[in-house]
Amino acid sequence: MLNYGALDWRLIGAVILLTLIGVVLIMSAQHGAGTDYERSYYLRQLMWLVVALVAFAVVIHLPLRLLDATAYMGYAVVLILLGLVLFVGSSRSGATRWFSFGFINFAPSDVAKLTVLLALSRFFAYSKLPPASKRRLAMSAMLVAVPVALILKQPDLGTSLVFWAILFGLWFWSGLAPGYLILIVSPIVSFAAAFHWLPWVLYFIVLMVGLFLFRPGLAYSLVAVISNLAFGAVQPFIWNRLADYQKLRILTFLDPGRDPRGAGYQIIQSKIAIGSGGVWGNGLFGGSQTRLEFLPERHTDFVFSVLGEEFGLWGTTLVVLLLGYILYRGIRIAGKCRSKFASNMAFGAVAVLMFQMFVNIGMTLGFMPVTGLALPFLSYGGTSLVLTWVLIGLIVAADYHWQEY
Amino acid sequence: MKHSSLAKQTRERLALGGLVLALLFLLGGLFQLQIVEHSELLAQSEDNRIRVQPIVPQRGLVYDRDGRIIIDNRPSFTFSLVASQMVEGVTIPNVSELLGLSPEVLDKRFRRNLISRHQPAPVKRDVPFEVVAVVEEQAEKFPGVVIQIEDVRRYTTGLGAECFTGYTGEVSEEELKTLTERDYRLGSMIGKKGLERAYDSRLRGHEGTAYIEVTATGQALGPYAEKPPAPAIAGQGLNLSIDIDLQRACAAEIDSANCCGAFVAMDPRTGEILALSSFPSYDANIFSSVIPESLWTEIRNDSTYPLLNRPLDGLYPPGSTTKLITIGAAIEEGHITEHTILKACTGGYRFGNRVFHCWELSGHGQMNAAGSIERSCDVYLYQVGLKLGVDGLSKYFGLCGLGVPTGVDLPREQPGLNPNSDVLDEIHPRGWTQGVVLNLSIGQGELLVTPLQLAQFYCGIANDGVVYRPHILKSVMHPDGTTEEIVPEVAFRLPFKKKTLELLNESIRLVVEGDHGTAKNLRNRHYSIGGKTGTAQNPGKDNHSWFVGVAPLDKPEIVVCAIVEWGGHGSEVAAPAVGRIIEAYMSKYHPRETLAAAGKASPAPQPLDTALVVEEGRE
Repeated sequence: MLNYGALDWRLIGAVILLTLIGVVLIMSAQHGAGTDYERSYYLRQLMWLVVALVAFAVVIHLPLRLLDATAYMGYAVVLILLGLVLFVGSSRSGATRWFSFGFINFAPSDVAKLTVLLALSRFFAYSKLPPASKRRLAMSAMLVAVPVALILKQPDLGTSLVFWAILFGLWFWSGLAPGYLILIVSPIVSFAAAFHWLPWVLYFIVLMVGLFLFRPGLAYSLVAVISNLAFGAVQPFIWNRLADYQKLRILTFLDPGRDPRGAGYQIIQSKIAIGSGGVWGNGLFGGSQTRLEFLPERHTDFVFSVLGEEFGLWGTTLVVLLLGYILYRGIRIAGKCRSKFASNMAFGAVAVLMFQMFVNIGMTLGFMPVTGLALPFLSYGGTSLVLTWVLIGLIVAADYHWQEY
Repeated sequence: MKHSSLAKQTRERLALGGLVLALLFLLGGLFQLQIVEHSELLAQSEDNRIRVQPIVPQRGLVYDRDGRIIIDNRPSFTFSLVASQMVEGVTIPNVSELLGLSPEVLDKRFRRNLISRHQPAPVKRDVPFEVVAVVEEQAEKFPGVVIQIEDVRRYTTGLGAECFTGYTGEVSEEELKTLTERDYRLGSMIGKKGLERAYDSRLRGHEGTAYIEVTATGQALGPYAEKPPAPAIAGQGLNLSIDIDLQRACAAEIDSANCCGAFVAMDPRTGEILALSSFPSYDANIFSSVIPESLWTEIRNDSTYPLLNRPLDGLYPPGSTTKLITIGAAIEEGHITEHTILKACTGGYRFGNRVFHCWELSGHGQMNAAGSIERSCDVYLYQVGLKLGVDGLSKYFGLCGLGVPTGVDLPREQPGLNPNSDVLDEIHPRGWTQGVVLNLSIGQGELLVTPLQLAQFYCGIANDGVVYRPHILKSVMHPDGTTEEIVPEVAFRLPFKKKTLELLNESIRLVVEGDHGTAKNLRNRHYSIGGKTGTAQNPGKDNHSWFVGVAPLDKPEIVVCAIVEWGGHGSEVAAPAVGRIIEAYMSKYHPRETLAAAGKASPAPQPLDTALVVEEGRE
């Protein structure tokens, strides 16, 4: 049996508090909705909280060795599920992401986050290769690329980005110098800069200077230059292959005003909601953007905007600081774990939560594109809530067992 | 590569540093939106949910001098579109089919009147109830369609009153640019012509504002509690000096033979316009509603110019009606006296190498000044005109208000043309002879006047030389129940001494009552009429027929000026018409005199048509 007194109760308390704030916000978001079903979203979220707590309890009781030993097996099972969902999954708004069990929908991509996290944690814990070894980088990238490829086919850009965030976090955590990380990201920057030849040329000059100063070795330099050239060159072709809604999202992110009634609408309305809240907010149920349905997706992706409108700067600051505290605890726990696997696992969980937090809140503030990523703990969504609680479970378990090797 | 791996402690510090940076970034963004941009975004939030809805006040009603309705309002259905509720590919095609408008026209109208996404933009006014029924029954085919009930002007028809009522229409973009008043916006109604335009600011009232809370889908939730509505102030009611009975009497004079013309009836004591009509007329109701393109083209291409406002805009040579001015001017200038007898009329007058004929080719013989008016002898007037010269005559035309806008309280009045030698130099760059003055002295040639100017001049003759500014507005009824009387203004005084005026009054009496009068057919037992016939030359066509009458001559109350286009000689058509209009007036305001003397129950017009017809005119 666990010694419950030794659990990180402050961390758990912060997570419970956040989840309950989320429930209140969901209640407010759908307060004026037309149907009983919509108005009862918060009750369903409460029900999911119970499920999440059970999952959390199960996770913290699992021996870490078991998670470690079964990591690759779980990974394989999820790969099969991801393949399957493409054929038998149910569709909603152009995306096939869910297995439908009656009224409960189950998205394997959420579970995939967990299994990829565990598999990567195991890989980095036992790989004898040096952190900057090409084989190590390539193998770990493959572990992510296969499930991401399956998810991209669904298609779900936002979720697939989370996987890369895990990989990135663990590359860093397993000792890869930041210079390499920048090099690895550089082709994406090249891709983005290639919208016009002038920024691209400027960027390329900066890249060459960086390579000269950093001296990562001939092979890395060559790969970096070639991949940068290649990404810059294929950019127009890739752009043309993107779905219209994806193009629009990117363009609208760059300039929300270009389509104020369509894709830019969400961002504009979200900014209005948060900004109109001011310091003290309009009070619970008092947000007109929320109540009058100007705010889209207000119980899921844009739940933070409801918070901003109804609770103002003090409410948003409180939530950001609570999230920050949770992530801070996660990093500290990952830092003190003696077991490499546990440490990786905790840090991977931090990477997922931090990425989702930053992208989601950034989106509601208008400086991140609309990706459809949920805000951990607060957004409505059963699978998402359970998953985030499981991630917290991993962190709490790592903390509890920190002295074990 | 030396720095290929980092110590765990360093990594932890870097990670914590990254976390702090990310948090600061988010908090900075929150600070920016919730503190820095707060008031701006709050305003946008208000703007989002509060629909500012104008409350259009009732446009003021217009009555005649006896309080009878001339213009009122009726409810109508306005077909509007709400942008936020429209469905692409559904609304526009279906509405286009229902209203029979091309999608392009529909889209244009919609965009022109679009104020906000949630506010209805009118695309068609006054749609029939059948269209409303279709929208109600098949609502799913018409997402975003809103039917609003709006007032439309209703004009009493059959009065020939369109020349002063005018009509209303949607304010145009050009008008919006020049208007400074806040009350005008796209889609609002404005007076386009006539008194609707002249008194638009009185009639329209002041729009109120309702603040309504709406959802993102545009659904109205009810009044916005924090901002009480500003109520509308109704437009002012106008009492006109117009008498509907006289309007009808004028309209009765128009038939298929005499289709075109103008009538002006005024009270010389105040300048009040008792009747003002222009024929052919049009139905102002058509203009205030929706004009079918075909009808519009038809009206515009009509060779009888129904849109021409003849009493104010119609320019005609006054013919013999201005002989009073020629005679009066000569007396004032000392060229003749009332007793002066000039060279006898033998049917023509030789000037230079040309003979100017009198309309009476057999000649009038000798006569004095009053006699020349009575008989309308051209030869007498030629000789008088030569004494005055072009500029001497033109000066008096101007002093009598010819070629000068009367200042009537209606828009778009033409000044006419009063030719002096400068003007003639412009008209005839190759030069002109003094022969011109012969024409001007009998009211022909370059002189152009409006019927209103002529009526105004005769008002002066009938009112001891005091000329009031013609006006149509008698009093204004404010929405609070108070009444504002319009005080008549003296416009100018005729340039004639009392004695001259007496002579001129005697002359116009002789026109009707003299043995040789050109309008003897108007003579009757009950009251005395004075007047003057006129025949405006109309090269290549029948002459226009003029008559200006004054009654009762001993104490004048009414001046009626009539022109019937292509009616021929003044005595034939215009004079009997004026006689019947004056009879309508006299029988209404002095019934005892008329009826008792006639010994009849019905005030039927007298048998004027059997009277002697005397001709006038010249080659």
